[in-house]
Amino acid sequence: MKLTATEEGALDLEEIPPFLYELLNAVPLQAASSDPRVESRFFPDPALDELLAEDWKSFVQPELQATFLSAREVVLADLLGTSELDEGFSMEIPPDHMDAWLSALNQARLAIAEENHFGEKDMSEEISPDTSDPRSIALFQISFYGFLQECLVKMQE
Amino acid sequence: MPAVDIPETETREKAGLAAPWNVVVHNDPVNLMSYVALVFRKVLGFSKDKAQRHMLEVHHKGRSIVWTGGREKAEFYVQQLHSHLLLATLEPAPQDK
Repeated sequence: MKLTATEEGALDLEEIPPFLYELLNAVPLQAASSDPRVESRFFPDPALDELLAEDWKSFVQPELQATFLSAREVVLADLLGTSELDEGFSMEIPPDHMDAWLSALNQARLAIAEENHFGEKDMSEEISPDTSDPRSIALFQISFYGFLQECLVKMQE
Repeated sequence: MPAVDIPETETREKAGLAAPWNVVVHNDPVNLMSYVALVFRKVLGFSKDKAQRHMLEVHHKGRSIVWTGGREKAEFYVQQLHSHLLLATLEPAPQDK
């Protein structure tokens, strides 16, 4: 896979192999996990104060939900614009979509980690991709999304 | 003149609102260090160095107080940090007596 920062500030992803393309397409779906553990992680209590926590659930959580959904929708639209060439798939992340990608990739990484009960130790594990092992795929997926996040962070610095 | 009790209650509420609150960011094993530093810069307006310092404090000590001030603004910052999926809470700041 080739990554290029364009003069216009976009990130071009070219020659994406089918396996990585599949992982990219999984971002919006993975990020929209309905696992209760994921929901707890996405919407943590803001304080020990029970009254504030209740207010937060009623007033802030819907806003956060809308923010997360909107990011996933932007990513989905970009993925629909992917083209398939002989050397692999290719797509572009425009500069004004980078925040949405950062958010959706983060949502997906956190969701995978929660669903698989990954902790500090798992996250620092050396990854040896084994397509027959779901845990190994999940760790690789987190690592791949993290790599893309790093690229997007660098472009914003 | 009749005694009026209400002002005492109001005074307490005002004092509660005026008391400083800390915005605390907690460590989590998934968020990238570079991403956390970027969020600090975007949400709290930190310089690159300050963002890096607080990010490292979160990473090594498990938490960092990233802002102290009025409750309303503290809630706003916590909401902004949550919208970037950082684990943030607000807690009353210890006050000198």
